[in-house]
Amino acid sequence: MSFWLLLTVNSITFGGLLFLLSAGFSLIFGLMRIPNLTHGSMFMVGAYLGSTFLSGALGFTSDFWVAAILSAIEVAVLGAVMERLLLRRLAGQPLAQVLVTLGVSLMVADLCLMGWGGDPISVATPEGLGGFVRAGPAVFPLYRVAVIGIAVVFAVVLWLMLDRTRLGAKIRAGVDDPQMARVVGIRVSQLFTIVFGLGAGLAGFAGMIGAPILSVYPGLDQDMLPLALVVVILGGTGSLLGSFVGSILIGFIYNFGQALLPELAYFVLFLPMVIVLVVRPQGLFGGQIL
Amino acid sequence: MANSALKLADIDAFYGDSHVLQKVSFELGEGHLLGLLGRNGAGKSTCMNVSVGLLPPRAGAVEVFGAPVTRLPPEEIAARGVALVPQGRRIFKSLTVRENLMVAARGVIPGTTHAPWTMETIFTMFPRLAERHAQMAGYLSGGEQQMLAIGRAMMSNPRVLLMDEPSEGLAPQIVAEVMATIRKLKESGLSIVLVEQSPKLVFDIADDIVILNSGRVAVVSTAAALKNDGVDLRQHLGVF
Repeated sequence: MSFWLLLTVNSITFGGLLFLLSAGFSLIFGLMRIPNLTHGSMFMVGAYLGSTFLSGALGFTSDFWVAAILSAIEVAVLGAVMERLLLRRLAGQPLAQVLVTLGVSLMVADLCLMGWGGDPISVATPEGLGGFVRAGPAVFPLYRVAVIGIAVVFAVVLWLMLDRTRLGAKIRAGVDDPQMARVVGIRVSQLFTIVFGLGAGLAGFAGMIGAPILSVYPGLDQDMLPLALVVVILGGTGSLLGSFVGSILIGFIYNFGQALLPELAYFVLFLPMVIVLVVRPQGLFGGQIL
Repeated sequence: MANSALKLADIDAFYGDSHVLQKVSFELGEGHLLGLLGRNGAGKSTCMNVSVGLLPPRAGAVEVFGAPVTRLPPEEIAARGVALVPQGRRIFKSLTVRENLMVAARGVIPGTTHAPWTMETIFTMFPRLAERHAQMAGYLSGGEQQMLAIGRAMMSNPRVLLMDEPSEGLAPQIVAEVMATIRKLKESGLSIVLVEQSPKLVFDIADDIVILNSGRVAVVSTAAALKNDGVDLRQHLGVF
């Protein structure tokens, strides 16, 4: 009983982490019509930067949350700069843009290996969240429950931003019909930079939030990217609701798959993606942003 | 001739290898309504796409109130006062009616004489949009979507309004309503290009007529002259 309960909590926690990662991925995909293959790198760089802030190697020690926010900001700037300097020059050439993001992700992986070495870095659970929650027969790590809370808060904030603000309406218009959005005078290229930076920052933040659970290691980027891809294809590109539901679904499939059919974990993970692509290529919530 | 509001000069445009506009030139006078006619595939919509910057021409020039805008991106051309009511309406389906208007809102461009358009004035012109302001635009009827497309274009306070087959797919009664709206906009002093397949809708309201045939300008005339001459339009427009 407690095994299943724990697995369930782990699934939701992982789903929450995936949501932080894939919400930005999905928005970028929906708006710019490209899968940003650096998204896993943003996650990993966020985690590496955060661990460095935390370690005090820069001459000051920061709190876990300060480290997470600082690394999110840095990764957001990195994403925005990449969009401005590289992707902007390749506007209208989706294949070239995808290849550039692939190239950059491989370069970033090398730079991280050079900077942080090949050994995994473990990140301590933030202070005050190291304990456990008891629920009947089961005991959950408090931090995992906190991650669920963080994901929910971000989901609500992102939803409010997209649904209630003028910027959000412009982003949705751009996802709906990018050409027409430009014709009515929306500066879609500015939206690209904003959304790219925001998505990257969220991924970086997710990396740090995930670090106490996953730790940080070379290859973390390539572990996370396919998951974001599956979530977005399952949920529908450009759909916030889709990334939320897709993340939770994949969180369950991933955790239960690994626990019950470890030798088929990837098979179980990608099977729903293949089915969705064949049966409902727009994803479960495609064409619906919120 | 009045001041030129929009001018296409010797435009050559391609979709891939197909040469869809060949040395197309015409001019819309300030405050005029120009009817752009032609069969399906004659190049009418392409002229619109070139004018708003969606399709950069391979050769030729586009001018808005005398200023060159050729090959500027669409948002820059929009900022110079050109608005499009596109074929198929292309309203933002996942935005509410109000949001569709909001995202297109812009202050008045210097040189505009008409009182600025706001959400309120648009809701006054189209009371049905006001009733449905919180509804997702994808759920509107075809006629309501057309009103929204017109409202969205007006929210940018344009100086030149391009309308690409606004009557397409609408019931006759709604078409009459749309035409009445266009007449009102013209009376407010707006310079308008009205693209249609059917000359019947255009002849009464237009000052000038341009007829395209297979990507070339076949006829340039005033509406009055064309009506009186009894030119045989069938060779350019097919049976109507």
